[in-house]
Amino acid sequence: MALGALYAKAAVGAVLPGRGKTLPDREIAREGLTVDLGHLADYARVCGFALTDTLPMTYPHVLAFPLQVELMACRAFPLPLPGLVHVANRITAHRAIRAGEPLDVRVRAERFAAHPKGAQVDLVAAVSVAGEPVWDGRSTYLARGGSAPTGFAGEMPEMSDVDGPASAVWRVEKDTGRRYAAVSGDVNPIHLNPLTARAFGFPRAIAHGMWTAARAVAALQGRVPDAATYEVLFRKPLLLPSAVELVTQPARGGWNLSVRNRRTSAAHLAAQVH
Amino acid sequence: MAAKTRQTRQAAVIGGNRIPFARANGKYARASNLDMLTATLDGLVARYGLAGERLGEVVAGAVLKHSRDFNLTREAVLGSRLAPSTPAYDVQQACGTGLEAAIAVSNKIRLGQIESGVAGGVDTASDAPIAVNEDLRRILVALNGARSASARLKLLGKLRPGQIVPEIPQNSEPRTGLSMGEHAAITAKEWGVSREAQDELAAASHRHLAAAYDRGFFDDLVTPYLGVTRDDNLRPDSSVEKLAKLKPVFGRGEDATMTAGNSTPLTDGSALVLLGSDEWAAEHKLPVLAHFVDAETAAVDYVHGRDGLLTAPVYAVPRLLERNGLTLQDFDFYEIHEAFASTVLATLKAWEDPAFSKERLGLDSPLGSIDRSRLNVNGSSLAAGHPFAATGGRIVASLAKALHEKGSGRGLISICAAGGQGVVAILEAVK
Repeated sequence: MALGALYAKAAVGAVLPGRGKTLPDREIAREGLTVDLGHLADYARVCGFALTDTLPMTYPHVLAFPLQVELMACRAFPLPLPGLVHVANRITAHRAIRAGEPLDVRVRAERFAAHPKGAQVDLVAAVSVAGEPVWDGRSTYLARGGSAPTGFAGEMPEMSDVDGPASAVWRVEKDTGRRYAAVSGDVNPIHLNPLTARAFGFPRAIAHGMWTAARAVAALQGRVPDAATYEVLFRKPLLLPSAVELVTQPARGGWNLSVRNRRTSAAHLAAQVH
Repeated sequence: MAAKTRQTRQAAVIGGNRIPFARANGKYARASNLDMLTATLDGLVARYGLAGERLGEVVAGAVLKHSRDFNLTREAVLGSRLAPSTPAYDVQQACGTGLEAAIAVSNKIRLGQIESGVAGGVDTASDAPIAVNEDLRRILVALNGARSASARLKLLGKLRPGQIVPEIPQNSEPRTGLSMGEHAAITAKEWGVSREAQDELAAASHRHLAAAYDRGFFDDLVTPYLGVTRDDNLRPDSSVEKLAKLKPVFGRGEDATMTAGNSTPLTDGSALVLLGSDEWAAEHKLPVLAHFVDAETAAVDYVHGRDGLLTAPVYAVPRLLERNGLTLQDFDFYEIHEAFASTVLATLKAWEDPAFSKERLGLDSPLGSIDRSRLNVNGSSLAAGHPFAATGGRIVASLAKALHEKGSGRGLISICAAGGQGVVAILEAVK
């Protein structure tokens, strides 16, 4: 099913009774996925990566994302998909992945737990090549006002926003949400245009967190080892259009990063890669 | 006080890396010059263990450039695994770009100004820059500088629907309006280069390149890119009979001998070579494949004079030989860039011709013939394709490796370029 249709289905499901109280014990898997080079080129262009045979560190997320949505859109999933906010993301690349390798992708949900502002859940993706784990992703979503059993919520990484001079200024255009939606399949209306975003309480469309995360790590292409972990906390939504600053600081053999608003200095993203 | 005179030293070719060349509007249609150059540089860095290294200089270029590509090579370095403290600059000398870059780097090494460097080039005929119509561009430039609303309005009034037609880069000489193929056809006719001889050279190029791939010659010279593992213009089963069936595309009537089979196609790709001093190579435990001995450039008046557009190497080589006390027969390998099969054959004929050599080259006797079995032994541009600025890097790395395999001898490189220029060089095996 197309992702847009899944969103629509989830929106209808959100108001119907019958939602589960616990996470469905379900894993969604796709085997032998091959990367479409045209799609890779589109993704690289939108996010600022050079087009090479090695997948950008954040690329497998867009392969796993449709599976995440499929899992979250099912009736038994305890939180309604519309309104879920991506609050944190962690990627571990175990090695470089070449574009020609057939990828097995598995997605499941875990760590459904109470959060001070509602309920949170992790969508976990594992990518392997012929049984060898090559990439792991963990996306943490928050449902404001949602309820969840008390339990282990997983530790949020402690990250302070990096201060200091900007290493780059980006003018983030107003069509950035539409452009990233086209390559990621994440057609959440809050990213698409000001009218649909307003329906969800945002004054304008907002950038996808994973676009900001990808664009930030793309700025370090060539400086991050093939095997690395990239942890991201999403702060204030990045309203489109905006001028933002990327701050990078070497730390513990890796980098601390932040993306902040050029005018207000409000942080949009705090991250570390090492 | 005069600067201390420095003893020059040898510049070594340590290795190379290129991506397979791909026919235009094909497999690399979505890749930019920067994408390909960065991928090629990272492949070189990976092959020679240079991650995080500060090299002396990276010099490369592209012939077809977008305005955003102004600092192309430096941008590639910044996106690569080389240390960001590695300086870089762009050069552009049409098809001579890659070899000229290698000359620049090796000269600095020989002077002791740098210890190591990377040279080469990249070109895409697919992701080519398309500019706005020249009339429209002038209006837009004026509009940008206009101070008042009325001035802007006046300029907007000059806009015409026809101006929407963009300027597409053309493979033609600005001063003559002729394409490179049309120029080459004039030279082919002048020297009486036959269709058969051209097709034979083209078939040999495919045969040699295919054989070189088959015996693993390119295993440590080429890194696959976007799913391409071999130059996709290569036709291993090419033959004189098959080539003879193609219709001529350049020239007219009986003089029309040049076909798509014995001319190079528009191609995308990039190629780089790693150069260094012998000491730097030893410190990094890297082998020296060959030494970069000397180089010469020449230019001809193809506009108002008698010389053909692609004939400048005919003049460059005798000057290079003279300076180095060598004859044309003192080489074990000849790498003559196959812009067109007829270009290679006309060049060889000119060197054999007593009258031309005396009158035009000022030589008492012609340079003479070469042993054709030593020509382009691992294939050349007719088979591999010719992404303009990438060809020099391809040839330098391949020739250096061939000399290393042989263990002795020397090789001559000859590359013709648009604008009536030629770049030639000598490489020598390490004894």
